[in-house]
Amino acid sequence: MRDLSLVIDATSRGAFEKLTQHRMPGALPFAGKYRLIDFALSNAKNANVTNVAIFPWGNYRSLQDHIGSGKRWNLDRRRDGLFILPPKNMMMPTEDSLTFQRMHEHIEYFKRSPQKYFLFTPASIVWNADLAALVEEHVASQAEVSEVRTERGRILTFIMSREFLMKRIEEYDIIPYKTLSDLVDRDERIKVNTIFHTGYARMVTNPVNYLAANLDMLKFEIGRTVFPLEAPIVSKEKTAPPARYLPGNEVEDTLVASGCLIQGSIKESVVSRDVIIKKDARIENSFLMNNVVVEEGAIIKHAVLDKETVVKRDTLVEGTPHHPYVTEKRQVVTDHSGLSVLHVAAEAHPFVKTGGLADVIEGLSRAQSKKGIETAVVLPLYKSIKDTYSETYQYVTTETFEFRGETEKIRVYQIQRDKVRFFFIEHFRFFEREETYGYEDDCLRFAFFAFSVARILTKIGPFDLLHLHDWHTGLLPGLLQGEKDAPPTLMTIHNIDYQGICPREHLEGIYPPLGQKTNVNFLEEGINTATKLATVSPTYRDELRYEYYGKNLTEALLKRDRDFYGVLNGISKKLHPTNDSLIAAPYDIASLEKKRLNKRALQKRMRLSPGDDKFVIGMVSRITEQKGFPILIDCLKSFLAEHADVEFVLLGQGDEEFIDRLEAIAKEHPRRMRLNIGYDAAIPNEIYAGADAFLMPSRVEPCGLSQMIAMRYGTVPIVRKTGGLADSVTDFDPVTKKGNGFTFFHYDAHVLKERLKDAHRVFKDQKEDWVGIMRQAMQADFSLERQAQKILEIYQSILSD
Amino acid sequence: MKTETIAMVLVGGKGSRLRPITEKKAKPAVTFGGKYRLVDFVLSNLANAMINTVGIITQYEPHSLMDYIGLGSSWDLDVSEGGVHFLTPYTDIDGEKWQKGTAHAIRQHLHFVRTHDPKYVLVLSGDHIYKMDYRELIRTHEKKGSDFTIGIFTPDDSLSRYGVLTVDKDGFVERFEEKPKDPAGDYASMGIYLFNRDILEKILADGLDEDFDFGNDIIPKALAEGYSIAAHTFKGYFRDVGTIESLYDANMDLIDHPEQLMLNDYRNLPVYTRSSNLSPHHVISKGGIVDVLVSDGCMIEGNVKRSVLSGNVIVKKNAAVEASLLFEGVVVGEDAHVKNAIVLEDTVILPGTELVFDTPTVIDNKKLWALGGGRDA
Repeated sequence: MRDLSLVIDATSRGAFEKLTQHRMPGALPFAGKYRLIDFALSNAKNANVTNVAIFPWGNYRSLQDHIGSGKRWNLDRRRDGLFILPPKNMMMPTEDSLTFQRMHEHIEYFKRSPQKYFLFTPASIVWNADLAALVEEHVASQAEVSEVRTERGRILTFIMSREFLMKRIEEYDIIPYKTLSDLVDRDERIKVNTIFHTGYARMVTNPVNYLAANLDMLKFEIGRTVFPLEAPIVSKEKTAPPARYLPGNEVEDTLVASGCLIQGSIKESVVSRDVIIKKDARIENSFLMNNVVVEEGAIIKHAVLDKETVVKRDTLVEGTPHHPYVTEKRQVVTDHSGLSVLHVAAEAHPFVKTGGLADVIEGLSRAQSKKGIETAVVLPLYKSIKDTYSETYQYVTTETFEFRGETEKIRVYQIQRDKVRFFFIEHFRFFEREETYGYEDDCLRFAFFAFSVARILTKIGPFDLLHLHDWHTGLLPGLLQGEKDAPPTLMTIHNIDYQGICPREHLEGIYPPLGQKTNVNFLEEGINTATKLATVSPTYRDELRYEYYGKNLTEALLKRDRDFYGVLNGISKKLHPTNDSLIAAPYDIASLEKKRLNKRALQKRMRLSPGDDKFVIGMVSRITEQKGFPILIDCLKSFLAEHADVEFVLLGQGDEEFIDRLEAIAKEHPRRMRLNIGYDAAIPNEIYAGADAFLMPSRVEPCGLSQMIAMRYGTVPIVRKTGGLADSVTDFDPVTKKGNGFTFFHYDAHVLKERLKDAHRVFKDQKEDWVGIMRQAMQADFSLERQAQKILEIYQSILSD
Repeated sequence: MKTETIAMVLVGGKGSRLRPITEKKAKPAVTFGGKYRLVDFVLSNLANAMINTVGIITQYEPHSLMDYIGLGSSWDLDVSEGGVHFLTPYTDIDGEKWQKGTAHAIRQHLHFVRTHDPKYVLVLSGDHIYKMDYRELIRTHEKKGSDFTIGIFTPDDSLSRYGVLTVDKDGFVERFEEKPKDPAGDYASMGIYLFNRDILEKILADGLDEDFDFGNDIIPKALAEGYSIAAHTFKGYFRDVGTIESLYDANMDLIDHPEQLMLNDYRNLPVYTRSSNLSPHHVISKGGIVDVLVSDGCMIEGNVKRSVLSGNVIVKKNAAVEASLLFEGVVVGEDAHVKNAIVLEDTVILPGTELVFDTPTVIDNKKLWALGGGRDA
């Protein structure tokens, strides 16, 4: 098809977590010997398309390696050929879809491509499509844009003429639409034609549908349409001898690629090249990538084993269809039942809490002990803890040591809660003060804490692994360097903004890796010396690679990029509107209508105009720049003025400047806007339960827990697509009706206002859709079990190194 | 950089004793080990030794082979300096240049050698099964400073099938006899030769009539005339599969002695083959496959034992295949029973057919029709 250019949208990162740590979604292996992008490229080849452009995000090395010159798809040509068009701005994360702005960066490509039509399609769809027929259908429809989709849903594939496209690209900064789907969904002036692809087509976006799509290939009626003889899917040429089946094997309904050596049993799975399955190993419902080795007696269920994973003898690797067990490249998986871990942190609920960290430690440690991990937590014995718990805790041990030239003595106490052991380190001078933090010598206090933990490890342990949290514990790996049998460490960064910096003289003689540094940055020390690193969401992990987010530590983190994971925090099952005694009317997904009673109670309490048809937007947030107040304040006034049925409730405290400006707006709408400055523990639940929508326009949000709570309460989140917000909220798609909230990417008051208007419109005019969003929000899985499972996978990869 | 060594690969062998496998293709194009062709070995060996100027001398049924090798990209031989060249018989001002013997074939294409102006010319056969690092042969040649060097090995079977030679204590060939009735020697020639380029031209230039080859004519002549001929001993697995039985046995060696050819070992001398672009194979039934090599694109519902399956083979429900080689595209119908068969490309065995033999027997659609178990080809 000479008249067609194919544009492959590989900008989406998806939600693959570890699987895309070192590769793009398009480069993910598929069905034993392919990569996902082979489908788009082969469809082009089979339609004789000779001009293909790929828009990748960041790391496209693996993709480049796979595609090479494009020769396999006849794309190594004199005229036209293959173009890889990376983002020009490498300083900022790019949007998770192909925007007209991205296209404008490479407008020369579009100008030079003589083809009359452009077909856009994502890099991660499994399908065999006749592109020429799709274009013919588009031309026949006389529409300006055709969207190709399936009965099942959208596959974000669009066809349009060159003139139509060029106009949008050239005017990208004037038109209100960012992407093609945006344009199709919202520009009512253009004629859109829908083409239904009748064969199989599945967009792969996360480990769950990735595994499912692989296993779909076992179904004959699907496999036949995806891999027909007349339109083959072509991949990079590799060499392997035929698979060898040895005595003892039992293989049933499985796809096996070349080079495999099979002695064990496999059922309903897909096995890639050169995999070795030893005697008595058992594999079910799993996808194994190249060069995986499964040793004798190991059992694997619902798993995705990345390249070169080795599963040791008699190890059980068990996931579920909804939470497949995922390994990483070259991981060695061994049996770690009876694993013991010590969390080292500055706070843990219920003993001491100043922020979200305390809840994370409590929830995670409990979920881990439920999984069979021996879990312990060590904290400083603050005065507040001593006051409350001195009758309850038990003495464990005493330790005396030299610290900066003085002899110091600590006592250690312990309390057991739900199988989790909490240890407290007692030291009068450093820890027994009125406040938890905020002292000039905080760095010294936590240096002492880390030092003490290093001294008592053997007495309260032994532990297989130390899990460190935030800057307070950053010196610990360095303090353990050279110690015999020192356990490996995982350091979780909860917020990059808190780093703990102290002058070298405080640490002289006690911190071996001090070197020539004039100042010591505790968090940076942790980043440099911990065995592996984690942070609180996959997107925040990616964002920290850019200076805009990673700040002074960007380089240190980039250096550790291969050892750095993002795991979304979970929230407790108990946080649920059915057993919330603080709200007017408890409810669940089956009794959603009762949420209205909570809305009335909130309106009453906040002295807002009553009415079920009012659109109540709630916020529970610190009032700071990071939380997005500058853009909110810039659009709130006009938004309220233009929509008389909108009400706004805020609870929080923070910067006076923002509060003053918010109060000025509130004054104009006394019955529609209420600010609650200061903290009252009862009210957040009333907002979570009573509001219709929950707003978080944050500029930076490492994880964010409020949106998860709001969603569990069926309150629809409107959030900026950043950090944990991007990982927990999926944007509502008006075509497929899928999505559990509303998101926007550009940190811009105008964009925020547009999104608020969209949400308002759906609330007012599409009641059914709105309830659908509420339901999907309530069904989202933010469980601690899920978080604990992902953290365990990291522990295992640390312990198997 | 000047090309040091070029290779001349003889692929014209008719493989008459392999009929009917070689009815429509040259011997080097014969399927081996499910997804290989015999010629893959020599091409992979060349790629692994980084010898990428290759003349392929064709004559008998060249098309399937030319089609298969193409530009040589599957073996990374598609380089801009050098690459794969098909040398076909041609006519010029002196008349037709039909090739008569192996050495004669090389002489016909000496102009190709001259174009590349190499130091050494490596003469190889396209139909041997072995993984060899030719750089070691070159090293032996240079160490001995011989005029040319022959690759030799110790066969498991009767020496009288080969060119038999005796070697002196310094590693030079003393005596040579082609396919002797009563072999008097310890080694057999592999039929691979490394010549100093000037020596090759000289030996081939003078005083020979048209029908001559290396074994019968050149080596005895060179010995008689006092050329120094070194021997390089190859210790690995080597097979020159001239007959149906030896082809069958070499395939079975892959099952019984995988450690001999080590096809799974890609680090040392990988064997490349042209990708068939087929999806992974699908095993549907449970546990009926033992000691089998299975290639891409197969679909297996029945039982298969001690067999080698090429690409796109289908074995239907309750079919039983034993001790057989199934070439690409073979379909074994339900309840069919196949034993000791070499089933050629695209043969369709109808349901319920009994094809049980005592010795390896070649089956194709034509033969099947005659036996009453096939469908009209």
